[in-house]
Amino acid sequence: MRLLNILVIAALILAASYVYKIKFDSTLQAERLAKVRNEIRKEQDAIARLRAEWAKLETPSRIQSLAERHLTLKPLHPTQFDNLDRLPEKPPQIVNPQSGDPIGAMLATPDTTGSVPAKR
Amino acid sequence: MQSMFPNENRWQRFIRGLLYGRDVDRAVKAKARLGLAIVIFAAVYTVIAVRLVMFATFSDGHNGRRSVGQDAIATARPDILDRNGEILATDVKSPSLFAEPRKLIDVDEAVELLTATLPDLDANEVRERLSSKRGFVWLKRELTPEQQRQVFHLGIPGVGFLPENKRVYPNGPTISHTLGHVNIDNQGIAGIEKWLDGQGLAALHMAGLAADRLQKPVELAVDLRVQFALRDELVKARDKFKSKASAGLVLDVNTGEIVAMVSEPDYDPNNPREANDPTRINRLTTGVFEMGSTFKVFTVAMGLDSGRMNLNTTFDGRQSLRYGRFTIHDDHPMNRMLTIPEIFTYSSNIGAARMALSLGPEYHRAFLKKMGQLDRLRTEIPESAEPIVPKRWGELNTVTISFGHGLSVAPLQAVMGIAATMNGGLLIPPTFLKRSREDALKVATQVLKPETSQKMRYLMRLNAEKGTGTKANVQGYYIGGKTGTAEKVINGRYAKNKLLTDFMAVLPADKPRYLVMIMLDEPQGLPETHGFATAGWNAGPVAGKVIARIAPLLDIAPRFDLPKADQLILASGSGNR
Repeated sequence: MRLLNILVIAALILAASYVYKIKFDSTLQAERLAKVRNEIRKEQDAIARLRAEWAKLETPSRIQSLAERHLTLKPLHPTQFDNLDRLPEKPPQIVNPQSGDPIGAMLATPDTTGSVPAKR
Repeated sequence: MQSMFPNENRWQRFIRGLLYGRDVDRAVKAKARLGLAIVIFAAVYTVIAVRLVMFATFSDGHNGRRSVGQDAIATARPDILDRNGEILATDVKSPSLFAEPRKLIDVDEAVELLTATLPDLDANEVRERLSSKRGFVWLKRELTPEQQRQVFHLGIPGVGFLPENKRVYPNGPTISHTLGHVNIDNQGIAGIEKWLDGQGLAALHMAGLAADRLQKPVELAVDLRVQFALRDELVKARDKFKSKASAGLVLDVNTGEIVAMVSEPDYDPNNPREANDPTRINRLTTGVFEMGSTFKVFTVAMGLDSGRMNLNTTFDGRQSLRYGRFTIHDDHPMNRMLTIPEIFTYSSNIGAARMALSLGPEYHRAFLKKMGQLDRLRTEIPESAEPIVPKRWGELNTVTISFGHGLSVAPLQAVMGIAATMNGGLLIPPTFLKRSREDALKVATQVLKPETSQKMRYLMRLNAEKGTGTKANVQGYYIGGKTGTAEKVINGRYAKNKLLTDFMAVLPADKPRYLVMIMLDEPQGLPETHGFATAGWNAGPVAGKVIARIAPLLDIAPRFDLPKADQLILASGSGNR
């Protein structure tokens, strides 16, 4: 009978400590979960903010005013379109390799600044 | 013991044991009462144990949920995207400042510190709010992160921040009337935003269920690039012709989608106060106008669809048409018999009037009713206007309405009707939302014979080749178009020098995909237009410029060396899609 009592008490202590451990772990996990959820929400907010900012930066009116200021490009004319199958064979060499990259040269031109049109 | 009631079972004995009765054995009674007590106590302890387990398992989740609910205070709204997925409207979190007056210790100090940090706060108003006995008051909505930091460092007890959703429109005024705007509580008060609230969003908010970013974005039919190009050209046109307003619309004739809509002057939805200015209304849906000669499209379509006339039928254009005390003149009098293509390309008022008269006012009225020109057109956006229809429709009304005077319609409505004459005779209610061809066919009604539509396409193209629409003819896109010039009614009389000009262009005319409408309010004559202010000189060329810009965006490849309209459109048989 005494042995039984001792066994039961031991089992009780074991069970209690095991339950305590589980409870403690679950609390930790729940805290981590809440923290990660919070982080996810913050990241989502940041993504939304950045997407809004990106959309603001690529809004057509801004792109157009920048293009008008910095580029010498002109709107497309209908005659500039053509079919791919009407494309002639590639000519042997269009750009002389020594002359370098024309777009790079345009970028490197020192007299083109932000608000002052380039002097030619 | 069981001698007295040998046949009863355990339960009956238990019940009997509980009762006070002379004939009950004391031992049985005691045992039964003990049993009852055990059962009750066991029940109570079970309840306690279950509750303990519940608290242990669910308490964390409960706390977490409350903190999520807190920042859904200012209602979250779904993003609005254009047809290519570009963002038109989105929510951004920004902190708002609130106070709990009951927790404040020193109101004067708080007012002083807050107004010093946030100069745009009104000191008296803040004091009044903080002195109230309420549990919660807003002090300032939508702080910048810098302001939030400063207020935080003041360290006033009873003052705190809540993250709120703020609606942002990254494209500013480029797209305004379609989207509408929201108020400070993020509730839609105009345009698609208002429509969104009507779609159950408001009810969701009331129930507190509209949490963050769970909602599907709304896709509009608008193409941001086309919208911008249209607006850019309209702003330039308004400057050039010094008109009071300019408006434009691009409609997909096969699905009824509104690909772009601009009514300039417009406003920045980020600053909704501008929208209250009456000059900035959306003229395309909330304004009604006499559309002028573009209404001849309806008159001619009616004539051809009636089966009583064909393209070779002639009408008397030899002299002005007298009707009562009114005389109808032509701008370019021909003084001879005119065929229907001639009436259309010379834009002959007399011819159109005679054509409508030959069918009678009743027929005319019924036809325009069928084309949706006499009833209020409702779309997703709440702004709409009732057309102004004459109460008694006599012959005189038919005469004037045949060339677009005496009946005021919303321009969007006219566009819908003219699209029906181009797309094979289907009247499709226009929409601001993305729609497939199949869905469009479900809501469409066949109002014209397909052959009539084919002839109308021919006439539109012919008019751009050698009629009033030649200045809109962009090489390569095979457009067709009709001009319209209406004199505005000032104090009940038609004013000769105050014009409303519009242009309807269809592209490409052989297989229509889009209808472009340009409208200018009171354009002025310029030296380069030889002082003319009629539609062929202003709205037409603007439409040409717009088409040259938007056609590549709408996937329309330029084609050159196409035959004339009579060969390509008329000879192609029933060239319907």
